Amino acid sequence: MEIKRRDFLKLLSGASGAVALGTYGCSDIIDVPEKLIELAQKGPGIVTWTNTICGQCSAGCGIKIRRIDGIPVYIKGNPTYPVNRGGMCPSGHSSLEVLFNPDRVKEPLKRIGLKESGKWDSISWNDALQLIADKMIELRNVGKPHQVAFLDGSDQPGLMNKHIAQFMKAYGSPNYYQSGQLKNNTAPYRLLQGINQLPSYDLLNSKYILSFGSNFLEEGYSPIYYTKIYSHLRDSSEHGRTRIVQIDSRISLTAANADLWIPIRPGTYGALALGIAFVLIREKLFDDNFIKNYSFGFNDWTDNKGITHLGFRSNVISNYYPEQVSKITGVPAETILKIARDLGNSRSSVVLGDQGTVDNTNGTFSQMAVHSLNALLGNFGKDGGVYFVDLPPLADLPPFDEDEIAALGNSKKPVAQSLDTNYPLADFSIDSFTKNILNDDPYPIDILFLYKGNPLFKTLNHHDFAETLKKIPLVVSFDPFITETSEYADIILPDHTFLEKWDKFCNTPTVGFTHVGIQQPVIEPLFSTRNAADVIIELSNKIDQSVANALPFQSYENEIRFSVEKLYNSGEGAIISEGVKSSWLEYLQQRGWQIGRYNSFDEFWKLLTRNGGWWNPIRQTKDYKELFKTPSGKFEFYSQNFANIINKLIETTGGESPENREKVLHSLNISVRGDKVFLPHYEAVPIEENMPLYFITFKLLTNRDGQSSNQPMMQEMFGYTVREYWNSWVEINPETAQEYGIEDKKDVWIESPIGSIKVRARLNPGIMKEVVAVPFGLGHTSYGRYAKGYGTNPITILKNKYDMINGNPALQATKVKISLAT
Amino acid sequence: MPKWAMVIDLDKCTGCGDCMAACKLENNVAIVSPEQTEEGRVMFWMDMMSVYDGEYPHVKVKRIPKPCFHCDNPPCIKVCPVHATYINPEGLVGQIYHRCIGCRYCMAACPYTAKVFNWYEPEWAEEFKTCLNPDVSLRMKGVVEKCSFCAHRLQVVKEDADAEDREIMDGEYMPACSESCPADAIYFGDLENRESKVFKLSRSPRAFKELEGLGTEPKVIYLSKRE
Amino acid sequence: MRKMVKQNSKLFIVASAAIVLVVIVWVVLGSHRNITQPISYNHKIHIEEAELTCVDCHLYVETMPTATIPNIEICQDCHSDEPMSDSPEEVKLLKYIEEGEKIPWQRIYAVPNHVYFSHRRHVTIGEIACSNCHGNVEELTEPPSYPLWLPTMENCISCHKEHKVTYDCLACHR
Repeated sequence: MEIKRRDFLKLLSGASGAVALGTYGCSDIIDVPEKLIELAQKGPGIVTWTNTICGQCSAGCGIKIRRIDGIPVYIKGNPTYPVNRGGMCPSGHSSLEVLFNPDRVKEPLKRIGLKESGKWDSISWNDALQLIADKMIELRNVGKPHQVAFLDGSDQPGLMNKHIAQFMKAYGSPNYYQSGQLKNNTAPYRLLQGINQLPSYDLLNSKYILSFGSNFLEEGYSPIYYTKIYSHLRDSSEHGRTRIVQIDSRISLTAANADLWIPIRPGTYGALALGIAFVLIREKLFDDNFIKNYSFGFNDWTDNKGITHLGFRSNVISNYYPEQVSKITGVPAETILKIARDLGNSRSSVVLGDQGTVDNTNGTFSQMAVHSLNALLGNFGKDGGVYFVDLPPLADLPPFDEDEIAALGNSKKPVAQSLDTNYPLADFSIDSFTKNILNDDPYPIDILFLYKGNPLFKTLNHHDFAETLKKIPLVVSFDPFITETSEYADIILPDHTFLEKWDKFCNTPTVGFTHVGIQQPVIEPLFSTRNAADVIIELSNKIDQSVANALPFQSYENEIRFSVEKLYNSGEGAIISEGVKSSWLEYLQQRGWQIGRYNSFDEFWKLLTRNGGWWNPIRQTKDYKELFKTPSGKFEFYSQNFANIINKLIETTGGESPENREKVLHSLNISVRGDKVFLPHYEAVPIEENMPLYFITFKLLTNRDGQSSNQPMMQEMFGYTVREYWNSWVEINPETAQEYGIEDKKDVWIESPIGSIKVRARLNPGIMKEVVAVPFGLGHTSYGRYAKGYGTNPITILKNKYDMINGNPALQATKVKISLAT
Repeated sequence: MPKWAMVIDLDKCTGCGDCMAACKLENNVAIVSPEQTEEGRVMFWMDMMSVYDGEYPHVKVKRIPKPCFHCDNPPCIKVCPVHATYINPEGLVGQIYHRCIGCRYCMAACPYTAKVFNWYEPEWAEEFKTCLNPDVSLRMKGVVEKCSFCAHRLQVVKEDADAEDREIMDGEYMPACSESCPADAIYFGDLENRESKVFKLSRSPRAFKELEGLGTEPKVIYLSKRE
Repeated sequence: MRKMVKQNSKLFIVASAAIVLVVIVWVVLGSHRNITQPISYNHKIHIEEAELTCVDCHLYVETMPTATIPNIEICQDCHSDEPMSDSPEEVKLLKYIEEGEKIPWQRIYAVPNHVYFSHRRHVTIGEIACSNCHGNVEELTEPPSYPLWLPTMENCISCHKEHKVTYDCLACHR
């Protein structure tokens, strides 16, 4: 690869257009405790390292904090932690800017005046908790504990979600929701396999990786875990080269590192998957044995009433021939033939789908189509295939007796459950949640707790969700920062930042082994903040003995100890330790693992906190029975689970009749009829004909979920790939730009049916001609001095559309027009 | 005498940008205000280049991390009027901030645009000053700075080795970027040591140097299969 | 020069004012040099009678870059409730210990933060005696009030040259 001197010089040329940006202020007020500053200046300079878990996103990487005289000054990856193996991402490296952020909430706050007034008064911890407890007691006294809701924005499986769930159940509310999309995203696997879990992929043993919009190196659940694997795949001294093919509307980080990038129209990934299935079936490139013995609904079949049903094969063969699919997707028919043949002929090959595939109104169906390719390849439990990781042997929280009030409250219908037939597989739908609360239907919500996630910044129904927050009489936020969402809170009970608190995480989704990570304080809390988990224990003590009984722990730290004691007793796995790096490959080849021995639980705990975590690299070979918990006990191309859900919906809305069935399917926006509904199929995304361009968003490693925006280092690095700093941009194909008279670095208006935004154009040959893309993360209207007022939030012009089945936001379902801003 | 060099495997590098962040954090590199970044005054000791190749839809993108190349024949030192930038016996091209008069001749001379200039006094929110790395001094307005291969780490590593009366081990001295790279794409070590990883990789058929024709003899060596 | 001053009396006044100012500044700075420590620590008595060595209190002088100045945690290993002497200085110390307050020692030896200086390198590896830079501390009955030897670059380099050790910029600059 030859790089010319002018390539280097290009780096020097600064941007020209002057863009009005907010002021970049530096605080002169020193809010960091005096003694810390003194220590930093005069301390003896003794270096120590502490292991903990990064909390910048939900990937759960192990990190090592370098402390000088106890003050954290540097972060590196924990080389023995199995998820990231010493690797880090840019966001992780800016963690100290979270801890020392000048915009932290330093004590509990009580809002003065109207919501969103931005005026706050301090309140003591005791007064704040008493005020909340009194309201909660009052609700229980009138038999309405279900009118309390809890929105938890963390997407990380661990102890905290169990902790909150236990509290809410003991209190008597069915309204605890994780607003992240993890549970919703399991919908396709629930339908096809009856499994409520995301799969992991054995990329290391795969020779051909076909990714449907899955930006696993950048936007996935654990990008650094996959980066490590990618690096192994590219280590020429080890394997024969694995080919990675990325299907995506733009060149994402994953596409840039793939061997082949295949541009595709947004929202049509499912059609392409079925087009590939067509070739695999037609050319007999599928796993005959698996299909014959372990799948259901592949061929046409007859039920016990003697009715013949459509099979996957007939549906694909008659509807998804490459020429037809090519028309839908924009992928040439010969490309479809080629990738299908490569896929079928490589031993082994694996198919992944995420982001592009799932972020649309047809996401669940598209992901079903993508995952059926794994079934055609017989990829389950196979080297280089798809597998499911076991849960670690952790103790459940102790059982408790809910009192009568709680039992009554818990029996109420959850408020986020759709009142009509919408989103039948949603674990949490923000659309239903918002609508129901605004209509007091089936009951009003009096208290809302918010923990992590800043949902208002991310949600498509921004206006309605804000109205909901305004409407609820008492909104309590645990945010350590004032975010867009907590601007609407009545009380802020600031949580510690993740470098000051205890927590426990386990099994980051899609990571390929069982593991537990311990997050521990690396510094005494800088301010008067408290761990949200401890605050919940305190609240439970204040409310009622029966609630307090559910969380019989002195502190959250004790609760973590309680939960991992079972890990120690199980004798399984081992605490992560030195020397595993060399056995990294060994483990992946499923060799044995020596189980650690510890003399006592205290010794185990000491080592666990010192080293940062526990893991069990042995992947249990699973029976197909465990993999397919469907009515047929097989992989169901024809999802009987889904058929049952739809039948139930029909029953509850007026009973089985052709008219009623039609009504239900129509209200679900499902376009096909008959057996096709329950088979993986392509649903066209409803779009505006008068808008010429697809509009998509993407996330960056420098920002992840919009939550690194209050860190100056990440704001500066935000668009390092295109040399845009502190600013958003829109990627436009040069040919498209020419058509609209747009030049590089000029501002353009992007107009959707919802609204318009002004963004700087960056011409990029790595995007489809009919697509424009704006990165997500900037455009904050709150969230501190470094976040507020920089860049643009693309979510604000997206249509309020959701996946018709699991209720996830459809981030790629909007079309726009663009024009040069003058 | 060791000769320190870096090998960056572009086949492994994904372009995630972690090296840039690790470097900024380790070396207290100033965060530049939005207005100043618009002027092209952003400061990265480790920068990332994006190279596009081919016509749509057969477009290839490669991201290339770019530190200071610590040339064996560095053009920058020849133009420095005050010997603020020089090459030391171990091949590290140093930048001595207290000597630098800010004439920026070296920036013009460097064909790799590896150097950056402090146009303003670096500013930090007081809170962030607490967590600055005390091992690296803060620069002042009007001086040029650049990647040092984390030479302050070498000071400590050398001392450790001397205290134990031994040679520096391969992989003991690692700059922040190399240590944190999630793709293990950045190797660092002694080019004079035939047992070292960088020596072996520098002999790889995939190895090449940027702008080799200029005779700068950079000690950052890239590996790539792509032509 | 003198001629010029004579020609312009105004300039003469300005110049003499400047000289006076310089003298004042010098005096003020000079008095700052004479640092008084919160406790007049007696090195001699600790070394001769208590038979302590440097490293007993300056804990890290052989193993770390910074030697560290001992504070109450180290003093209280010997000085507990009962005074060992009738020195008023020990009374001060015991008060600090009792109140758990750090002794606000003033540093008199310091290198600028762009310089890497390591005691371990000089003391352990280079086998340089403490007195080379700090003088005959064991004879001092009260703490030094000014540095015996200024850690300037010139002083560093001349010693490095004399001992034929590296004076490469990057060996110290950071």
